[in-house]
Amino acid sequence: MEEVLYNILGAVVTFIVAFVVGMTYGGLTRKITARVQNRKGPPFYQNFIDAFKLASKKTAIHHGVMHLMGPAFLMVSSVMTLLVVPVLSGNNWFPNLNFHGDLIFLLYIMTFGPLGMALGAGQTGNPNSAIGVTRGLSQMVGFEIPWVMALVALMIQYKTTSITGLMDAQAQTGTWLMFSSPFAFIAAVMAMFGMFRYSPFDIVGAPTELASGPVSENGGKFLFVMMSSGSVFTFAKLTLYIDLFMGGASNLVILLIKTFALYMIPVLYGITSPRYRTEQAVRWFWGWPTFFGLLAIIQAVILK
Amino acid sequence: METFSIIFAIFLGGAVLTYFAGKLSSVVQDILFLATVLVPTYLFFSGVSIGSSMPFSLEGISLLWGVNHFGWLFSLIVLGLGSLAAVYSVGYMKGKERRGYFYLNFVLSVMSMLGIVISQDLISFFIFWEIMTWSSYLMVIYSGNDVQRIGIKYFVFSAIGAYAMLMAIVIVHSVTHTFFIEDMIQAYGQMSLQLQIWIPILFLLAFAVKAAMMPLHVWAPGAYSNAPMAYTSLFSGALSKMGVYGMVIILVTMVNRLPQGILFREVLAWLGGITAAMGTLWAIKQDDAKKLLAYSSVAQLGYIIVGVSIGTELAMMAGLFLAVMHALFKGTLFMVVGAIEKQTGTTNFTEVTGLIRKMPWTFFAALMGIIALAGIPPLGGFIGKWMLYESLITSDHYLLVILIFFSSTAAFLYCYKFLFGFFLGQEEKEWAHVKEAPATMVVPMVLMGIFMVVLGTFPGIVLNPINNGLMDLGYVDSYKHLWETSIIFNSWGDHVILQPILYSIMGIFIFFLIFVLWKGYKGTRYVTTKDISSSGEVPKEDENLTFSVGFMQPFMRAVAPVMRRQMDKYYTGFANGLEGLFDFVRRIYTGNAQTYAVYVVVFIVIVLLFKDVLF
Repeated sequence: MEEVLYNILGAVVTFIVAFVVGMTYGGLTRKITARVQNRKGPPFYQNFIDAFKLASKKTAIHHGVMHLMGPAFLMVSSVMTLLVVPVLSGNNWFPNLNFHGDLIFLLYIMTFGPLGMALGAGQTGNPNSAIGVTRGLSQMVGFEIPWVMALVALMIQYKTTSITGLMDAQAQTGTWLMFSSPFAFIAAVMAMFGMFRYSPFDIVGAPTELASGPVSENGGKFLFVMMSSGSVFTFAKLTLYIDLFMGGASNLVILLIKTFALYMIPVLYGITSPRYRTEQAVRWFWGWPTFFGLLAIIQAVILK
Repeated sequence: METFSIIFAIFLGGAVLTYFAGKLSSVVQDILFLATVLVPTYLFFSGVSIGSSMPFSLEGISLLWGVNHFGWLFSLIVLGLGSLAAVYSVGYMKGKERRGYFYLNFVLSVMSMLGIVISQDLISFFIFWEIMTWSSYLMVIYSGNDVQRIGIKYFVFSAIGAYAMLMAIVIVHSVTHTFFIEDMIQAYGQMSLQLQIWIPILFLLAFAVKAAMMPLHVWAPGAYSNAPMAYTSLFSGALSKMGVYGMVIILVTMVNRLPQGILFREVLAWLGGITAAMGTLWAIKQDDAKKLLAYSSVAQLGYIIVGVSIGTELAMMAGLFLAVMHALFKGTLFMVVGAIEKQTGTTNFTEVTGLIRKMPWTFFAALMGIIALAGIPPLGGFIGKWMLYESLITSDHYLLVILIFFSSTAAFLYCYKFLFGFFLGQEEKEWAHVKEAPATMVVPMVLMGIFMVVLGTFPGIVLNPINNGLMDLGYVDSYKHLWETSIIFNSWGDHVILQPILYSIMGIFIFFLIFVLWKGYKGTRYVTTKDISSSGEVPKEDENLTFSVGFMQPFMRAVAPVMRRQMDKYYTGFANGLEGLFDFVRRIYTGNAQTYAVYVVVFIVIVLLFKDVLF
């Protein structure tokens, strides 16, 4: 019993860290985007203000059961991802569910939320929501291919499918996987563009076309849960990349430096890019990223 | 074993009685039908112990029926799904015509499938196989639509498979002089290499037709969607598994012993993978739910074929687990479509929308089925998918695993299309009158939905019989090193522990659900799907906001080049070519005696001219 309580406490702490970091990154992104576009931009803590405003609102209307459950579904996938990904290496503070699932499980639990959310968005009856969902799912089929190729390359090279196993492999050899399996890293980073949905892959939300897509009928607490889920998910995904390719992080500061550096890749690429059409986005992922994925697999087979 | 005789006597007698009972009253017919399916099911699981057998002889040929663990696993699918589908059928067939015809063929199908899994000799196997083909063919043409195109296509492919199997049986008999499957397997090692290669090919051809493997799948979409939905759940869920059943036996007992067997298995696995990918893409394109599920069945059977043809322990377990899961979720989904068809009269996504509030239980069943199909934890589909991926990765099939991953990610698209098309989206006045389906239809669906949830956390319930069945086929016991009741391992020792995952998911879900609803829920009111902000404006009552036409258009544009080639077109081209040939042959017979006289003269001239060469 004590162990369970301890685990729950660990999970809550992890969640709070992820929430704060994710929100701050979101705010910084807004600031950076503004500066690149020669605007002043909101302060970096603007996201917190938005979030707490939304959280304190009362809910007036709903569209039915699935609509009510949509945000909770979304949160399940973000938090589960966060719990399965080891936050700090060589540290017993955040054990969570690290040893209970592996990479394939992670891939699937990461799709749980968007699908649940899609059901919620579907019940609102707003056509923009459904269009956004179909775009999002299409894009997912696109970027999952190079992403899975990169992961498969890592798995076969080190003969393990668990994240902790791959981290141990890096600790033993002393080289980060981004240097020992460069092609896998390139493919994974390219897939990350799709995962984070910044331009040119912001086809799901698509502000000017779809009026923010799947979230469009949600406000107040619904939007707050979605927003925080997004922040937590961002943090979890970045941590996963760090764990897999950059040797993990032994303390919070290093973790923040590494994740922020990685996060800037899709953000900076996105600021100056226009938006793709859906089929262009899907095909983009099946071009160069898949080619690098193939190279990664070939490299892994040769080096195995 | 007398129980076997009693079971089959009840099946046969009950089928005929049910057929004629329609003349008396429909209630008597329903009860008789249910009894005919449920009583033998009860007898089989209570009275027949695994390992029992019944030898008998017919016209001097000695035959053998018996149950082993592997057959028992498939009888579980057949009779389990069969009974649930039977209960569902009673509700589905209410008020429909030709009920006797339906019930008769339904019972015969269940009987023949049970017969297949207990047949230990090739003669009864073949006879039951043919009864299965015939009864399913009669179901396919039940509605009378498109009998020419769909019915004939199904029958031609089944016939090709059956003749191949018959040929193999004759060859085996000419070598071994016995029909027992056991003897065939024994003698296989001593056969000439040519026979060793041809016998599996002929058998696999027959099984691949039923398992709808590319390029022999073209009958499936039409046949699945044309049969009554109550039967299609059995057709796609159980009947197609008979192909898998045969395939596993042939692969394990024959192909594995061949030094060239690896090539066989690779080709089969790749065909399965391509089947999965193409089936998925075509499923996304369909606007009719029946067609969508039919293509999806083809795709799902592709995964199963990949699993069983890779043939490592984990892959085999994955394939068989997916077979059980597919029976469950595809059975459920076809039942859902049947319920919607009964209540609304159509199965087209572009016509029906927004049923979630009218048919909540059906939606629940559909949701469970879809989550299981998509392979998302914590439902049972995930276990099968996980095992399949891990088995492919650990057995060096790196490109195949990418192909499989592509198709199962793309499957999300049609999963969402299915749920959104029927249940979500705009509620329209046209469907305001729709009520929930009757209890006899809802209960089987919901039961299967719940079972899928249970299997997601305790897969050991099904993995145990699978393990026993595989041990029958000569695999080693994999308990504790590939699976436990709620833990699954791969062969590198990585694992997923399912119970804490289920509890965490439930915990997080409930916490945030309460967070959203806390204090606020009573103050909220339900608003219709017209009461939304569409681009900042509130739409008017008569404004059409339904989104269902061209649902996955952008994605289809992205994959358009792959979909230009269609197996169906090649077959049609082949058929047209043959027709042209026959037409030419027909023209020789002009019906004019003068022409025939010319033929005779020409023939004699040719003989005279070439007599030195010819004689």
